[in-house]
Amino acid sequence: MVNSVCVLGAGSTRYGKLSQSVIELGLDAAKGAIDSAGITPKDIQAGYISNVFGVADKQVHMAPVLMSNLGIPHIPGLTIESACGSGSVMFREAYANVAAGFYDCVLAVGVEKVTHTGTALSTTLFSYCSDFFYEGGNGASFPGLFASIARAYLTKYKATEEDLAHVAVKNHENGLLNPKAHIRKRITVDDVLNSPVVASPLKVYDCCPFSDGASAVILCSEDFAKKNGNNYVKVIGSGRGGSPAAVQSREDITTIPSTLIAANQAYKMAGVTPKDIDFAEVHDCFTIAEIIDIEDLGFFKKGTGGIAAKEGITRRNGEIPINPSGGLKSKGHPIGATGVGQVVEVFEQFTGAAGERTVENAEIALTHNFGATGASAAVHIFQKV
Amino acid sequence: MDKNSSTHERFIETAKNGKILANKCKNCGKVMLETMYYCSGCSKSDFEFVEFPGIGTVVTHTIQSVAPEGFEDVNSYAWVVFKLNDAPFSASGFLPGIKIPSDLPIGSTVSVKGYDAKHGLTLEKQAD
Repeated sequence: MVNSVCVLGAGSTRYGKLSQSVIELGLDAAKGAIDSAGITPKDIQAGYISNVFGVADKQVHMAPVLMSNLGIPHIPGLTIESACGSGSVMFREAYANVAAGFYDCVLAVGVEKVTHTGTALSTTLFSYCSDFFYEGGNGASFPGLFASIARAYLTKYKATEEDLAHVAVKNHENGLLNPKAHIRKRITVDDVLNSPVVASPLKVYDCCPFSDGASAVILCSEDFAKKNGNNYVKVIGSGRGGSPAAVQSREDITTIPSTLIAANQAYKMAGVTPKDIDFAEVHDCFTIAEIIDIEDLGFFKKGTGGIAAKEGITRRNGEIPINPSGGLKSKGHPIGATGVGQVVEVFEQFTGAAGERTVENAEIALTHNFGATGASAAVHIFQKV
Repeated sequence: MDKNSSTHERFIETAKNGKILANKCKNCGKVMLETMYYCSGCSKSDFEFVEFPGIGTVVTHTIQSVAPEGFEDVNSYAWVVFKLNDAPFSASGFLPGIKIPSDLPIGSTVSVKGYDAKHGLTLEKQAD
């Protein structure tokens, strides 16, 4: 039996090409979460940080630096890395420690700073998140790995590049309503199809941007949240899974095993099914990823996710809204922060802070975030209180 | 095969001869990539080496516009996942000279040409 855990506050910087240091970004998001929760740093009993490329901004061992600048240097912190899934994997560890009763109140901060390295170096750094001996070392970039997954999917299910393009158009439409999104620009299917090829069959608009940014949340026991008196959101399901690290080692390249495992755990724990989910924030690092995600999460049968965006089913006012925040595709993908940013979106949706992008009558939401090509994944389910 | 060399060194030396080195579990018989330390079937760690011809069928591939570090000198190449004809697993490698997707239809036959210190497992396309 685990203790009931809540999200009591949330904060986020804008995502994009930002001038602040990785530490300043982390602190800005942390302050936002602390203020939102109506607590002070003295209430925090532990800090959890997610980050991947701190070395690119000359800062590793980030947790003590953040805790020191929050005025709580004696509070323990640690930094967790799981490639693009770092934020959700870190959130899970923070959640587990509160659920186990070790702490009543913790800070979870995801942060990334990478755009200053430029496209060429960023591409190389991201390739280090692959199973490098088999993938990056043989010339595969991250867009290349997802492009190989896309080619396998399009071939197997007779889906089209236009199906992929509709995912980008839908997420950009949502991102227009998010003041913190990296790319706030309406695009058309033709814009996507005519954009330069990055890694065939994926084009520029099939790919999320490299982003800087930070997101943070306060997790606490439900007793702590009730005493605090502020709005909060309950975490009702949590799951984690793994996949063979290299794409070549997967029996079916068109599915992500870690997502299946994490989702099953989270659904079981929450006592809900995919039909009970009112909206989801999923890992759309590339348009093909969203299509595979919504199948693996049980919203669509295998091979049918390609029509979801095209037919409006996953739009903000559709049957199952996917990525109302704009997703990684439009909101941006500061990889250490992304998984936490999804939780921030759920918190804002459920506490009346999502403005124009509010999903009406939503009460249960799901977040899904994975590392690399899905070698690691975490799924969480939340309930409005 | 030198059992004292590292797994990566053994894989590379075998690939230089156009072959893929694998581990065969002495307990359950499962065959897997040689870089595995434990059997993914029965979790035992007693293996014998098996070499397979590096010939297989293209499962998927991509041609990238922005290459990662170390590959900027190659004009155009495909990163390829291919199913080995004689082994129960797939491998992946670098195939130079591929400019557009139609140069390499899914199902094409490729073979391991060698192992390049800079570009890794290097493939060549076989005639149709």
